Amino acid sequence: MLTRRRFVGYSALSSAMLAYRPLLRFGLGQTPAEPAQRPLRLAILGSVYHQGSDMQTMADRFLVGYPYEGEWRIPNVQVVSVYVDQQARRAEAAPSAYQLAMTGARVAQGGPSGRGAAGAQGSERAAGARRSEAVQPPEELGPMSDLSEARCQQFGFRLCRNIPEALRCGGDRIAVDAVLTLVEQGDYPSNDKGQILLPGYDFFQQCAQVFEEEGHAVPYFNHKQLSFSFEEAQSMVKTANRLKFPLLAGSSLPVTWRLPDVDIPLGAEVQEAVMVGVGGFDGMDFDALEALQCMLERRKGGETGVKAVQLLEGDDVWAAGNAGRWSKDLLSSALSRSDTPLGLTVLDGRTQDLAASGVLPQLVKDPAAYCIEYTDRTRATLLMLNGAIMDFNISARVAGHGLVSTQFFLPPAPNQTYSACLAGKIEQMYQTRSAPYPVQRTLLVTGLLEACLNSRRRLNQRLETPQLAVSYRPPAESQYART
Amino acid sequence: MAQDQTSTKRPRLAAVVTAYKKLLHPQHVVDRLLDGYGWNGTFHHPAMDVVSLYVDQRGEGDLSQERADRHPTMKIYPTIAEALTLGTGKLAVDGVVVVGEHGNYPLTEKGIMKHPHFEFFEEVTKVFRAGGRSVPYFNDKELSWNWDWSKQMVDTSHQLGFPLQGGSSLAVTWRVPSVEFPLGATVHEAVSVGYGGMASYDFHGLETIQCMVERRKGGETGVEWLQTYRGDGFWTAYQDGVWSPALVKAALSRSSTLTPGSSTFTDIFPTTEQMRALVRDPIAYNYQYRDGLRCTMLLMNGLVRDFTFAATIEGRPKPFSTQMYLPMPDGRTTLASFFSPLVYNAEQMFLTGKAQYPIERTLLTSGLLIAGVDSAFQGLQRVQTPNLAAVNYQPNPESTFWRS
Repeated sequence: MLTRRRFVGYSALSSAMLAYRPLLRFGLGQTPAEPAQRPLRLAILGSVYHQGSDMQTMADRFLVGYPYEGEWRIPNVQVVSVYVDQQARRAEAAPSAYQLAMTGARVAQGGPSGRGAAGAQGSERAAGARRSEAVQPPEELGPMSDLSEARCQQFGFRLCRNIPEALRCGGDRIAVDAVLTLVEQGDYPSNDKGQILLPGYDFFQQCAQVFEEEGHAVPYFNHKQLSFSFEEAQSMVKTANRLKFPLLAGSSLPVTWRLPDVDIPLGAEVQEAVMVGVGGFDGMDFDALEALQCMLERRKGGETGVKAVQLLEGDDVWAAGNAGRWSKDLLSSALSRSDTPLGLTVLDGRTQDLAASGVLPQLVKDPAAYCIEYTDRTRATLLMLNGAIMDFNISARVAGHGLVSTQFFLPPAPNQTYSACLAGKIEQMYQTRSAPYPVQRTLLVTGLLEACLNSRRRLNQRLETPQLAVSYRPPAESQYART
Repeated sequence: MAQDQTSTKRPRLAAVVTAYKKLLHPQHVVDRLLDGYGWNGTFHHPAMDVVSLYVDQRGEGDLSQERADRHPTMKIYPTIAEALTLGTGKLAVDGVVVVGEHGNYPLTEKGIMKHPHFEFFEEVTKVFRAGGRSVPYFNDKELSWNWDWSKQMVDTSHQLGFPLQGGSSLAVTWRVPSVEFPLGATVHEAVSVGYGGMASYDFHGLETIQCMVERRKGGETGVEWLQTYRGDGFWTAYQDGVWSPALVKAALSRSSTLTPGSSTFTDIFPTTEQMRALVRDPIAYNYQYRDGLRCTMLLMNGLVRDFTFAATIEGRPKPFSTQMYLPMPDGRTTLASFFSPLVYNAEQMFLTGKAQYPIERTLLTSGLLIAGVDSAFQGLQRVQTPNLAAVNYQPNPESTFWRS
């Protein structure tokens, strides 16, 4: 296995190139996006920086570039500071050097050290001193190892102990032009609804406090849902409006490629939509609901909010289909877009009409239906079909256009190039100081998911959702990857 | 000989295949005709019936009996002639579906598997000739491993007057982004980057290029020469600009499977040194068309697991590029859905009696594959290809790739 020391050694040749951005562009034969402008200084705040984490996937795109519109795009962005919540918390919880000295224990290595190009000389010396005292063998870099230290050494950003430090880069004023946050599952606790208490709101509030204190706010991206709580999410959107900074949020599913390349025609009357997907509660259901929403918001009258939701489970899901609560035609159409039928296809490769009678109940042991009633009477259902498929597909009945159906294309790991589509949107917001699509979409979906999980906790009752009277207009131009 | 017109009733098809096993081409193609498939937002049942099946190699893993049991309209016959005549002594079907890919056949001295496309074709056309009647013929992938036989297949289809359609699914699958090569455009250079080995996936890379550049100004003019590059010679040629590194970069920027060249990164553009470390046996077929166009088909096993295309088109500041997306059943998907547009286009031929794209495309790519292997066999020398210089054709101006 690769040791951290050896890894840094291996990457020494390229690290000089990667740390100096004009050289990187030259090396890759690229020209900077905005050659006349100095790079935007970016603070990245996240939960965990290990291989395959959302933070690693997205933060790396701003360090080494990403595929976008037929080029390997090197964003005109300089990552100047990084905060990794679980590393920082762990370091904080660990006994101090003084405590360890008092008990005669050796000083432990690791944890945020406040080094980097923008770091203060004093702390750099202190970190170096600490390292030389360490007698443990070099830490192995396994698949779940924290990479923030290694990236810090390679790219020269400041690895910070807390969020205000990341925004001020060790000084006393905001020293970044944009913020990227990626909170995700680490070892955060869950509530009784099964929601992981991700600190998206805490991160945001800490930033907003700094913005407010200094009377200067910068564009902010929040990955996936705003919070586990709709109330907190609302407060985030209000704060962004009050402090007048662009706020963009959400997942990659609304902006990834589609197979085929289709959208709901803007202003068309949508009667009903069925989305099929896979995943657990408070997981990929958010992404699926957001993908559904990014299409439905284009309907006649724009978004006017959600009147009621109900989360059905087990045989009630199939019964609801039989009772016409969700359309079997739309289910059949959405499933026809799937490239991943399970069951007999896995057995001998055959094609299958999964919508045919009896197939789904056999394959899907724990189905879930997220039934959504919009205030304008449009209906939508997300069917989570673990065991039947492995991809995300939608079909909508659109007046005058028949059924509009597509697959939201999720290219495979490790590259997960769908998140490059999102990186492009984030960078666009940073450069233009304007969100390419409204954060109200993510706000509504944050609330939708919470309401559905409430329904689940209340024995799958239908719940009126007056709080979800969220109205907004979609961007006229489709925002998913097409070029 | 007149071609049979069968527009009023459901066409009856004979399937002639090498081996009918899980995830082999015959299974993908014939299953779609039997069981249907997702198409255009619905589960599509082809308006035709496979009534007979000939399987050249059976044995362990054979699925043909299971399929015949589930689809009683399809009978298994011991010979190709009987599959076409249904035991009546004369041609009794309205179309023939031939899948000559896979199975176990001997290799040529140059390492190409002798898939029986031509032998199957001979058996089928014997029945056509005997009855004085021919029907549309679908031939999966290349025509033959032997150039003369490939040429003979095309000539025979013209002589007997039946539509012959074939080729790779790369030409008809999804494109990401969903773009078509502008008809009549002037193109200076084109590349495809793919994976797999010589005398197998090279055919897919060649069809990737050909289905695009055949739409250029003047149409297809044929290929003058070809040179294969491997090993150190490949990297020297890459550095010397024998093909455009900028186009390779543009193509790779469309890949969704770029192997990270640096440990702990998941999506990072590799340096040339990293590419060298990742790609142990790189292969390039660099070839020149009669009208001066230069194209290069690259196989970079270890670097990517998809097929991408890039070209320099006059009047465009940036390379024109896309990925020919294959939803591969290697863990990424369970269905090889790229067979769906291949089968759909075959159905259209059976229904209309017209090939949806010219068989000359497949003739040219079959010949390019043979020339690529010849060049490698002759010490990576440039080989002149007068036979390929004579392949001239015009493309179907309509797009036939998967878009809906």
